[in-house]
Amino acid sequence: MAYERSSGPSSAPPRRRFSRRKVCRYCADKKQKIDYKDTNNLRYYLSERGKIVPRRISGTCAAHQRQIAEAIKNARQIALLPYTASHSL
Amino acid sequence: MRNYESLYIIHPDVVGDELTAMVEKFQKVLTDQAAEIYKLDNWGTRKLAYPIQKVERGCYVQTLFSAAPEVIAEFERRLRLDEKILRFLTVRFDAEFPAIVEAEPVAEKAEETAAETSSADAEPVTEEPVAKEAAPAADAAPETEEK
Repeated sequence: MAYERSSGPSSAPPRRRFSRRKVCRYCADKKQKIDYKDTNNLRYYLSERGKIVPRRISGTCAAHQRQIAEAIKNARQIALLPYTASHSL
Repeated sequence: MRNYESLYIIHPDVVGDELTAMVEKFQKVLTDQAAEIYKLDNWGTRKLAYPIQKVERGCYVQTLFSAAPEVIAEFERRLRLDEKILRFLTVRFDAEFPAIVEAEPVAEKAEETAAETSSADAEPVTEEPVAKEAAPAADAAPETEEK
């Protein structure tokens, strides 16, 4: 039970969870701001299909995950980030 | 007076004088309504993440300004009317305007905006950055969040 982190209700003990120990990047480095124009940083939070990565994978805290999601959605709207991997015509 | 940031995309076929005329026109829309332009930045033509109205590139123009809330509706209405504008996004800029200095008029505006926001204490959103230094303000906010 000591292995189980608080990333969700615990299931069978032997199965190791996906949980990331790493700290939220924006909590660790307080100088960094989440900006929808900052596509280089925001790309880390998009999967290869262009979907927003869930918090348990990226390891961000809840508040920052909400800000990141909002920034990504703004960036998508203004065509700085794609909605999907293949915007084929 | 609230701080806003507006980013709009102009059709790539608009170039040169026509482009500057268009940008000037929208700046004028803002200044006519007593908005203070802090910064105007033309990012130039870049590739869009996805085609908009069948075009793959667009000219991005970013402008930072402070204005009363009613100004935004009019500004967006004008942007919407123009067919050459593909997309626009206006966002409330919570923090203090960054004190970057591109030219001397910008430095004056920075002091102006700083003085204004420190006197206008009606907005709870900008109450932290009123201290005018980004570092201690940024430290204070996430600290309380972390706890």
